[in-house]
Amino acid sequence: MDWLFFGEISLAGLAMGGLYGLIGLGFVIIYKATRVINFAIGEIMMFAAYLFLAFAGGMEMSPWVALPLAVLGGSVLGGVIEKVMIRPMLGESSISVVMVTIGLASILVGLVELGWGADPQLLPEFLPRKPVFLGELYLAPKIAYGFLIGATLLLVYLLYFRFSRGGVALRATASDQAAAYSMGINVRRVFNLAWVFGSLAASLAGVLVAATGGLSPQFGAVGLSVLVVVIVGGLDSILGALIAGLFIGWLETVAGAYLGGQYRMPATFAVLAVILVLRPYGLFGTHEIERV
Amino acid sequence: MFKRFLTRGLRLAGIGSVAAALMTAAPVLAQDKEPIVFGGSIPLSGVFAFAGVHIHAGLTDYTNWINSQGGINGHPVRYVMEDTGYEVDRSVAAFKKITGSNRVPVYYGDSTGFMKTIASELNSRGTTLMSGASFATALTDNQTYPYQFIPGPNYTQMFGIILEYIAMQGQEGDKPTVAFVYSDTEFGKDPIENGKAKAAEMGIKVVEEIVTKPGSVDVSAEVLKLRRARPDYVVFHGYILSPINEFMVQMRQMGLDTQFMGTFWSSDKLIIDRMGADADGYMGVMPYNYYDSAEGGPMLEALRSQAQKSDPDAGYRPTAYMQGWFNAMVWTEVVKRTLDAGKELTGDNLAASLASIQDWDTGGIIGVPVTVRDMSFPVGRIWRVNAKEASYEPVSDWIHLN
Repeated sequence: MDWLFFGEISLAGLAMGGLYGLIGLGFVIIYKATRVINFAIGEIMMFAAYLFLAFAGGMEMSPWVALPLAVLGGSVLGGVIEKVMIRPMLGESSISVVMVTIGLASILVGLVELGWGADPQLLPEFLPRKPVFLGELYLAPKIAYGFLIGATLLLVYLLYFRFSRGGVALRATASDQAAAYSMGINVRRVFNLAWVFGSLAASLAGVLVAATGGLSPQFGAVGLSVLVVVIVGGLDSILGALIAGLFIGWLETVAGAYLGGQYRMPATFAVLAVILVLRPYGLFGTHEIERV
Repeated sequence: MFKRFLTRGLRLAGIGSVAAALMTAAPVLAQDKEPIVFGGSIPLSGVFAFAGVHIHAGLTDYTNWINSQGGINGHPVRYVMEDTGYEVDRSVAAFKKITGSNRVPVYYGDSTGFMKTIASELNSRGTTLMSGASFATALTDNQTYPYQFIPGPNYTQMFGIILEYIAMQGQEGDKPTVAFVYSDTEFGKDPIENGKAKAAEMGIKVVEEIVTKPGSVDVSAEVLKLRRARPDYVVFHGYILSPINEFMVQMRQMGLDTQFMGTFWSSDKLIIDRMGADADGYMGVMPYNYYDSAEGGPMLEALRSQAQKSDPDAGYRPTAYMQGWFNAMVWTEVVKRTLDAGKELTGDNLAASLASIQDWDTGGIIGVPVTVRDMSFPVGRIWRVNAKEASYEPVSDWIHLN
């Protein structure tokens, strides 16, 4: 066995898995606080990536200015969606809310096609191009730096949820909405905050993933494919999303390298099937989760 | 920005809703003869819209041009289409609607899936000859698809042309090595088995075969496999743009001097526009001359002039536009031959007229006279990206497979 090769592809898989974890975080934050599975997460990623394209490409801003602006734009979009489309659905069945997010995904695809056209796009280069070596192990620079940027946001999130007032309010609301409400927490605001934070994570992941894999109005499918990650990790577990993201990224890459690209998806879905049988609520999910 | 928004909107969305009405209003000819209808299931929206809008423009412009030339034997031409969103069920519905209200001798199919699905109905009707966006090898099976043809080489023939070129690059009897990289889709897998057989027959070693997941995000693991295989050539198939760019950039970062090649849908100028200098040296097989190539010819000039007339601001027209135009050109030739022979416009007669095409001068759209074989035009040329000039330049003669 070529251990150097195994090490290199494992590293590539883990780095990719980090980005999956970041997208998964977008799902989990929103679900944890509001019990809504946001099927438009991929389209929010796509929207942010197109914003980056507009700022860095069309308006020729520095990518390092365009990146926070695009991520901010994506998170504002999340907040607006919650206020305009999701909040009026409070009290409706979860299927209805899910349908709203599916419809929203189509609207975002249409808007992007109108604004930017249907042509495939590449984002302006903004990550260093020099190959990264960890010892003898090669790692593609975009994946390596994308992982670092994503990991930084993950760290900020973890600290925020652990120590800030907003983070504590969010966790309290996720644990027991009625109790949080009776303790004076503005639950509606927390819902909005969850959409903003979830969309922010997805937006950053959107730009980083599009920087590697290109961008088109169908880009949102990437977000949906990460649904496997959050189901494996547990829909309401941030830690689960991170660990499952890393694992699925690694598994998919190793399966692709040794068995062939056609086995990437079967490998991940095999894991999903096993997890659903053994732990239907995911590796780290709460037992009482209502499934849709 | 707003102007750009409007322009895009008109091209993509507005066209979809009003195009059918506009198309029926093709210039009225003086003759009283019955119009000949070019039908089409056209993907103006959905995943293939990036090509669909240009295919539509090519078909529209050709229709207007042929009508300005007096139509086909005095028959005016009417182009009737529906947007399909690149969905098979919508394409089928469009076909039924258009053929239900018109007599349609020729029809544009937007996908391999649609063309395979509609085949049994096409065969039982026996009224319509179909071609379209597909270059699928399966469609050149005359027994199963007697009324469908490919407006160029099929994907297996494209691989054949690429391999012929690669074989010619060998020095002192040594044949270069090759790797095939393709998407895990019906489109991607189409020419691979035949391509491997052809390579073996020609003595070219296929040192690696990479399959990528559709919508793959990262290909660095696949690049690592190629680094170990060190092929002289990598042939991509089943992509439009990504992940070709990532393969090229990462392999060059590793210091490999591999050459990169692709088939029709991954050989548009889009590669140059999006990749810039990184696209330099990329090669593609193309059956048609590029819109901005140095080549000439009466039909190529007519195409350029009509394109300029219909949309003076459009500038360069992509290969999808050329493909749309060429489809309509072949339909015209086939209908004309059938009418000249005093025969009815039936599927059998149209297919026979197509099969009779031999050494046909396309007026510069294809640089050599072409002959139809097995319902396809097995001809192409290898073009190489000159990133500095932002264009493709020919690096081979026209290769006509027998």
